[in-house]
Amino acid sequence: MDIFVFLKMVPDVVEELLIGEDGKSLDTQWLRMKLSDPDEHALEEAVILKEKYGGTVTVVAMEAPEVEEVLFTAIAKGADCAVKLPGDWAGIQAPAIAKLFASYFSLTQHQIGSETLILIGSQAIDDLEGEVAPYLAEILGAHYVGVVTGIRLDEEKKKAIVMKEFAGGLRGEFELPLPAVLGVQAAEKPPRYVPVAKVRSIMKSTRIETVDVSPSEIISGLSVERLFIPEVAGKAKMIEGPPEKVSTQIIEILVECGIIRR
Amino acid sequence: MIIEMDPVTINIFGVSGYILLWIITLIAFGLFGKRIIAFIKLLLRAHPENRFDQLGKRIRYLITFVLGQKRLLHEYVIGIAHFIIFWGFILFAGTFGWNLLKGLFPFLPIPYADEIGIIRIFFLVFSLLVLVSLVFAVIRRAFFPPPHLQQSLDAFIIITLISLVVLSTLFGIGFRAVTVGQMEASLNPADNLLYKIFLGIPIDSAQGWHHMMFWMHLLVVLGFLAYLPYSKHLHLLASPFSVFFANIDRAGSLDVPGSKNETSAGASRWDEFTWRQLFNTFACAECGRCDRVCPALTSGYELSPRMIVHHLKEHLMEAGLRSKDDKTSEGDGLSPLIGKTVSVAELWACTTCYACMERCPVFNEHIPLIVNMRRYLVAQGSVDTTLQDVLTKMSRYWNSLGQSDRVRAKWTQGLDFKIKDARKEQVEYLWFVGDYASYDPRIQNITRTTAKVFQKAGLDFGILFEGERNSGNDVRRIGEEGLFEILKEKNMQALEKAQFKMIVTTDPHTYNTLKNEYGLNGTYQIKHYTEVLDKLIQQGKLRISKRLNQTVTYHDSCYLGRYNGIYDAPRRVLKTVGTKLVEMPRNRSKSYCCGAGGGRIWMSDQPGIKERPSESRIREAVSLRGVQALVVSCPKDIVMFQDALKTTGNEEKLSVKDISDLLCEAIE
Repeated sequence: MDIFVFLKMVPDVVEELLIGEDGKSLDTQWLRMKLSDPDEHALEEAVILKEKYGGTVTVVAMEAPEVEEVLFTAIAKGADCAVKLPGDWAGIQAPAIAKLFASYFSLTQHQIGSETLILIGSQAIDDLEGEVAPYLAEILGAHYVGVVTGIRLDEEKKKAIVMKEFAGGLRGEFELPLPAVLGVQAAEKPPRYVPVAKVRSIMKSTRIETVDVSPSEIISGLSVERLFIPEVAGKAKMIEGPPEKVSTQIIEILVECGIIRR
Repeated sequence: MIIEMDPVTINIFGVSGYILLWIITLIAFGLFGKRIIAFIKLLLRAHPENRFDQLGKRIRYLITFVLGQKRLLHEYVIGIAHFIIFWGFILFAGTFGWNLLKGLFPFLPIPYADEIGIIRIFFLVFSLLVLVSLVFAVIRRAFFPPPHLQQSLDAFIIITLISLVVLSTLFGIGFRAVTVGQMEASLNPADNLLYKIFLGIPIDSAQGWHHMMFWMHLLVVLGFLAYLPYSKHLHLLASPFSVFFANIDRAGSLDVPGSKNETSAGASRWDEFTWRQLFNTFACAECGRCDRVCPALTSGYELSPRMIVHHLKEHLMEAGLRSKDDKTSEGDGLSPLIGKTVSVAELWACTTCYACMERCPVFNEHIPLIVNMRRYLVAQGSVDTTLQDVLTKMSRYWNSLGQSDRVRAKWTQGLDFKIKDARKEQVEYLWFVGDYASYDPRIQNITRTTAKVFQKAGLDFGILFEGERNSGNDVRRIGEEGLFEILKEKNMQALEKAQFKMIVTTDPHTYNTLKNEYGLNGTYQIKHYTEVLDKLIQQGKLRISKRLNQTVTYHDSCYLGRYNGIYDAPRRVLKTVGTKLVEMPRNRSKSYCCGAGGGRIWMSDQPGIKERPSESRIREAVSLRGVQALVVSCPKDIVMFQDALKTTGNEEKLSVKDISDLLCEAIE
């Protein structure tokens, strides 16, 4: 089993988000990046699958501030190999990200076959449509299911049997042959904790590989015209007091708005 | 008439008494020595720890806590009985050794101990006192056992043996008195008394009885010696050493001086503990004092400090002594110790309140054991999800609340003066504010009040703003040693850049780690804000303009009180502001933990507990007549007790107040 997990850093919303001078992007001075939560689940699921079925886990991430720490942590959690794709990828959109990830396979001459399983977080806070995984599957010619909450393999390890959640508490089970790209919503268990000492010792003993991707090949089909904070549309007004007074006030407001006539 | 009083000269079943004595002695000492050597070998295989410093203080500990039995007298009734039995034991063991020496080496120019009149008086007095104490001990065990006293066959065996030792001595000197006759007896009040009692026995048989008593005494004591290290009564031998090797002056520190081992991986097997940690198991007498004061156990959590030590002993005997140990971990992925003998739930239940260690008469150290095993769990990634969430936040934002580290000093915005930035200008006091005081909206008002009081007193103080990080006290007690190291490094870097003379902290937990674990104590004084407030009042820098006519009670936080001995400063402040202080039954070193320490504040409750420690404490405060407020000096106490006020429905009866609030009210 060759399991690949593609990781993406997203803006940390714990920090205040400010819009940059260009009006099209976030102010990088105040921006802190963190690993996208669903990607963390994808990584956890990959490590769980490795523990169950054997194989190797390779994590691949676009370069971003603090990404090294994320990659070392991934190794501490059980990944075998961590790869960084250098470059300035700020503002890159889903189709381009998919192309970028796909180019990892062509550049490293990794054969995608019946042993290959690719996991990506099914969404990210800057990609709510969850487009990266299906685009990537399309480029690689692999099968795809998204919003997955459980993965197991058949006896021959040639097919993935995945659980997908639907609205109204319904669940669907899908079977798809490998190679496959799965958009992971949640891992079987919450992502594990790795102690700081372990990450620190991994930092000393392990190296992160880099694979150079030429940015010119990566063209995004979309660009942001304007980024803005939604304007406040007006506030609710609380009317307090005894019921008689409140009802008189409500009538006055309705009259004022022209909804009823006195 | 010359009467042969030397009991060793006789023949028993045709065998010379000397030879018999030598054989019995060698067997007993052989069995004893074999076991003791095995124990010492185990200790040598454990991790090193330097407990050989401060010899003067260690000797003083021996005098106070072994000879003086100070901690046993906390429970004074059984304490006095133990005191008598202990001193009786010293007398009997000492004279036994003496007699044995004389018996084995008859050429020594010394008499037997009971040939000396004054010693016979001691024998008589102590025999009677010890017998009374033993009767008392049996009655206590049989009819009024305190909770958590380990009832074992061992205990009754030992009581029987001690009784036999005492009775054989008593009867021995009695028969001696008859044998030697009135002449000598008349000079000695003990002999006189005994002579009268034993008078009915003919001299001939009395001599035989006297010899019989000598041999019985000998057999019992040597049997005792051989049996001792195989029972819990090993504590008789081990506890003086345990006291001697106590963690002197560093109660609040989890550092292991002299250790070269990587500590972050923790311990899951006996040889991963330090030798002093293993020594706990030898010294424990299973008296249950620790259990009786444990807030987790009292609340119905699955934790017994006594059993933690006991389980480690079982594991040590099983895996260490009998080598019944496959080095690989078994089915559940945990070690033979953790997850099997010691449950994961009980390790997480500890609040690290220090009550058990404070009470332990032999200075056993339960918390380092628990933390060491927690470290192992953390290293395995076996961490409660809520706790994991906090640790993740802490390693990213450097605070437990998971807020941006850039807004750490946002609480200062509500002040009408500016607080100095200690990184940019020199201050006298560097205020290490702490997470809860900085971020928690329930506490921020109190923090601002404290700032106002400092300002009013003209205190020259500043803060580190976003340079401050969580101090790591609780992180370390959770067992995340690596994260503690990073937090400490970051804080040390920030402190190095700042210019100040003293550090003042809000949180007692912060206080503890800065004072005892940061290695700052030689360079700077570390003060708790209650100490600073107390000092400001004494210097006349804070004038009380309004006496508060309130009746209050005060809760000693574990890390301020038991850990660091600060009991009086907050009480003096309360007195100055004019409150009437009514103490709770559990006050000062007996204070009852709020349940927040050791990372418990971030963990979920075990299902099925009776009541939370904080709820028990609220009930205690509410039961005091006329008390309007529970005064605290720890931000976590505010959080815990305000919650408990709601869950126990006591919001109308009591309020929880910080000491700063009261002081501010009184100076305005």
